[in-house]
Amino acid sequence: MSTLEANAGHHHDEGSYFDGPPGMMARIWQWSTTVDHKKIGVMYLVAVLFMFFLGGMAAIGVRYELLDPIRTQTTEFVNAAGDIETVTVTTGESLKELMGGMFGEGVSGSQIYNRVFTLHGAIMVFMFIIPAIPAALGNFLLPIMLGAKDVAFPRLNLLSWYIYVVGCLFGVLSILLGGVDTGWTFYTPYSTTTDADHWRVVLMVMAAFILGFSSILTGLNFVVTVHKLRAPGMGWFDMPLMIWALYATAIIQVLATPVVGITLLLLIFERVMHIGIFDPSLGGDPVLYQHFFWFYSHPVVYVMILPGMGIISEVIAVNARKHIFGYRAIAFSSLGIAGVSFLVWGHHIFTAMGELAAILFSGLTFLVAIPTAIKMFNWVATLYKGSIVINTAMTYGLMFLFTFSIGGLTGLPLATLATDLHLHDSYYVVAHFHYTMMGGTVIAFMAGLHHWWPKMFGKMYSEKGAMLGAALVFIGFNLTFFTQFFLGTQGMPRRYANYVDEFQTLHQISSAGSLILLVGFLVHLFVFVQSLLSGDKAPANPWGGLTLEWETESPPIEHNFHKEPILKHGPYDFETTVPPHWDPKDYPLPENAGKH
Amino acid sequence: MTMIDTDTSGVPARILKSPMHWRNAKHQSHWRSGDEEFDAAKFGMWLFLSTEVLLFAGIFCGYAVFRMLYPEAWANGSHSLDWRMGAANTAILLFSSWTAANAVRLCQLDKQFWFKINILITILCAIAFVAIKFTFEYGIKLPEGKAPGTFFSYPYATDPHEPLWWSLYYIGTGIHAFHVIIGAFLFAFVLWRAHRYQAYGPTQYTLVENSALYWHIVDLIWIFLFPLLYLIH
Amino acid sequence: MMQTLASAQPDILQKLIFGETPAPSEAAAWSDGLFLMITWFSIFFFVLLMGLMVYFTIKYRRRPGVPAQPSPHHNLLLEIFWTVVPSSSLIVMFVLGFQGYTSKVVSPDNAMELKIQGSKWSWIATYPNGATSPETQALSRVVDNENHTVIEGKQYPIFYLPENTDVKLRMMSTDVIHAFWIPEYRTKMDVIPNRYTGFGFRTPILTPGDTYVHRETGEVMPGRDMWVFCAEYCGDDHSRMAATIRIVPQEVYDQKMADWSVKLSPIDAGIKIWTQLCKTCHETDGTRLVGPAWNSFKNADGEFGFGYDALLEDGSSVIRDANYYRESILDPNAKIVKGFAPAMPSYQGQLSEEDIDNLIVFIQSLSDRNPNAGQDAGDAEEAGSDTEAGSDS
Repeated sequence: MSTLEANAGHHHDEGSYFDGPPGMMARIWQWSTTVDHKKIGVMYLVAVLFMFFLGGMAAIGVRYELLDPIRTQTTEFVNAAGDIETVTVTTGESLKELMGGMFGEGVSGSQIYNRVFTLHGAIMVFMFIIPAIPAALGNFLLPIMLGAKDVAFPRLNLLSWYIYVVGCLFGVLSILLGGVDTGWTFYTPYSTTTDADHWRVVLMVMAAFILGFSSILTGLNFVVTVHKLRAPGMGWFDMPLMIWALYATAIIQVLATPVVGITLLLLIFERVMHIGIFDPSLGGDPVLYQHFFWFYSHPVVYVMILPGMGIISEVIAVNARKHIFGYRAIAFSSLGIAGVSFLVWGHHIFTAMGELAAILFSGLTFLVAIPTAIKMFNWVATLYKGSIVINTAMTYGLMFLFTFSIGGLTGLPLATLATDLHLHDSYYVVAHFHYTMMGGTVIAFMAGLHHWWPKMFGKMYSEKGAMLGAALVFIGFNLTFFTQFFLGTQGMPRRYANYVDEFQTLHQISSAGSLILLVGFLVHLFVFVQSLLSGDKAPANPWGGLTLEWETESPPIEHNFHKEPILKHGPYDFETTVPPHWDPKDYPLPENAGKH
Repeated sequence: MTMIDTDTSGVPARILKSPMHWRNAKHQSHWRSGDEEFDAAKFGMWLFLSTEVLLFAGIFCGYAVFRMLYPEAWANGSHSLDWRMGAANTAILLFSSWTAANAVRLCQLDKQFWFKINILITILCAIAFVAIKFTFEYGIKLPEGKAPGTFFSYPYATDPHEPLWWSLYYIGTGIHAFHVIIGAFLFAFVLWRAHRYQAYGPTQYTLVENSALYWHIVDLIWIFLFPLLYLIH
Repeated sequence: MMQTLASAQPDILQKLIFGETPAPSEAAAWSDGLFLMITWFSIFFFVLLMGLMVYFTIKYRRRPGVPAQPSPHHNLLLEIFWTVVPSSSLIVMFVLGFQGYTSKVVSPDNAMELKIQGSKWSWIATYPNGATSPETQALSRVVDNENHTVIEGKQYPIFYLPENTDVKLRMMSTDVIHAFWIPEYRTKMDVIPNRYTGFGFRTPILTPGDTYVHRETGEVMPGRDMWVFCAEYCGDDHSRMAATIRIVPQEVYDQKMADWSVKLSPIDAGIKIWTQLCKTCHETDGTRLVGPAWNSFKNADGEFGFGYDALLEDGSSVIRDANYYRESILDPNAKIVKGFAPAMPSYQGQLSEEDIDNLIVFIQSLSDRNPNAGQDAGDAEEAGSDTEAGSDS
């Protein structure tokens, strides 16, 4: 309320950040040279959504191939003359039949499958999930939520975006040249020897290396911004939990990415010059690569999920009109997760390490479960005695609690050594990490996108359409991935185009689910496009949030705020504060407000 | 911001009035003051430097693992390096770190001439470092066949794992030399801006300070590389 | 306690999760029990959390003009409670998991050692007496007696093991990293090129219900089949890198060992190597797999088979003689036949000179330009000196 009145007089000064010079070229120039974190955030959003589309199509390809196993079969039969005749045919090469030409001649169905799942993994991990929340939503929100005009280093921020785009171009180039079949983890010595006379693998590794730079620079920018650009009156514990989550994320990005940088660099040297670090024939150690790789890639799992957890804290608190339960516990658990995440990389290689190391890493891995469990309890407790509204963002928020708790709990048998020996590299793992990455991060991303869409674009969307999309995504997601837990426990290994007959039914259910999932996302796309074209104008604060981004207009003005905001209330004081731009008559405060 | 009273006689008006001149420099609009902007830039630089240290940590880690596995190869490799060249380069880098620190101090005092001289010496040291590395080390070792990995063709090697030592040697020193070259370009940019606009002075020396910080880290990494590669047999 | 959870009579949950067949060893049953325990633990917390979530969402749904009711923003005791209780359960899981891991990985000193070699894309098991298994069976097999047709998938080797015996695996890869997974034993371990890895297990005592159908005779024999899969991604035919472990009565096992140590003729030895190593990529009936088939035939890509000219990628052609095949085995990328990818790994060091000889004799026998065709089969058999079954290098 405080800044609302002060702002009222200035309305004519500045237009929204969307306003620009007339003319297409002028607008393109303005956007491509902008240092405004909001425009950069929107550019990231467009780029990551495009990558999500590419990765999603690869996923559909994978599910399509798995409708039936690729098999080379011989048929013996008695022909008309009474002799036994033998015919050999390869069946089930669905992708090859569909799009074999794309990959050139002489490429088998299995090879195409291997490339498609590698592309799915590499695109989703490096080009979609890692930048999705921090770089797209984070860029847009972080400075506004802190009450700042921009991030600490705006030009560096633009540079990060360009580096990201260059990285993606390398990846796409590698795909256009025929794609790579290394798996997204680039395990040596396979990745250094496969497809030996071609540059595709190098291009894809280069892409990951370049994207790492973008990630480091964004992380660095965010850490400094949080330290130096908080609004007057905003102490560390007055920050919204979204900021805490982004802060913890940024720290991981800064500290973990350089290690994968040098690892990928060594991999490129290894492949191009055969330096031998990871090559057993020269005395190198292929498992060393896995240690290096997971030292980065495990913490990065939390780069993916922590910002999602931040979004959930915001969405649940706002839509339940409750102070988040155990603010400090959630904030510290974010930092706790960031810290412990550096100590558990070994659980990705239980089956390749000695007994002692395996036991040590198993113990450390259980530590990560604790802060995550604490957050789950806190979110559910936040709902207690609230005034809960079910809009699309909240639906996704509650959906997150459902899918992410399945994802978290199914991680326990993977941390337990005895059971992990069975489940490792099986479909159980595939299901588990899709429940955390997709059921966690992507669902949270959808929650955040719906929550802040009106703020970002100044338009409301069709609540009904979005709810339909959410329902389809929920059904499709669970159908696709819950079946895969059973595939895994029953013995289906990862990355198999060929499988024994008894798995076919489960695979087909899973594939059907993926189609529903696709339809769900298409519904969302339709709703968003419709919102941009003909959505109602969004009010400044459609959901009644108390964080600073709701104090400015939707969409925000060029410099975010007309006047530097001064923090007058905490981000979750719903019981004592009428949200900005809301009418106290419509927002009764509870009796005995603030007395407990 | 208080104006620092320093001698501006003899500085052409063209430079004094240039928006690039340190007296005319303004902080970016999203900062409350130039001091905060400076603090933030320095903090950002420290974060960046921590990523540099972690990058090299990967190489040190590989060094440690293979040293443990193949001590013989490591001893042989280490013996065949010329410690005098390493020591010369160490001295050069230490000296240049000192001149870089000097440059920052002189910049803060607005001693433009000596500031530029110190930057210039730092650049020359960087060039000398790289020249020694390429001519007296790589230039001698490579023709002998002491090359990384499968390029290794030195006929008198006694341990089968020596190619691995050379791989790590070239990668470690190579990436370090690359950082030295980047540093030289950074200082060249500073020097050019200082010469053209007098862009750096008592109230505006962020880039000078950050370049010097970067240079100290490059120096520090060499301080670790030198004994590990040249001295410990 | 674990075994009572995963009893010999699988309950519904266990059947749903792990399939119908009971776990073959104590360690495997124990690990299933642990998994079920964790599952029940998870179900409890999941139902608790989701129950509360749904209950709160309905009970405290927004009503116009009704504010949220105040409640504490935190409660230290409650928070300590819900940190400590799950954490202590995690400690239990960790300790049990570590015990189960030890029982899966460690095997008694007197266990029989089976050497496993993984290479792209096949498994070879070498028995203590140096024998390897020449028997194979298909992943899928459909017999239609009415129409007299049999549809069979790719053939995978069968590793025979005696019942009620401790077995220890010593594994090594010749190229990239693989992983040896026996789903029924709930255990896998990576197979790495520069070191031995392994794990141990005890084979079950066969029950009357444990039978398999003999491939040729159709007889029902006592024994139990278990699949082995490669679980670490290893390239093109990763998903066709399987094998069967067949648990048989001790007598049957002993008989197999006796049979397999008999010397083979060069052609048979060649066939054996082909089934173990080459068959994944090279057919002998003209079918195009990753690599060209070995028999003699003609198609758009040119002529194939021993004695015929090979059309190479660079446009030149070269005669397929014994030296050509030798080079192709040891340095596969030296000459690439037009239309094929350079996908073959080198078998330098894996195959002895004798193995290569035998393989070439076999390849020759597939061609209508077979130089040995005129010779008496008996001579050829005599010519083949001591063929150590398979390769063990």
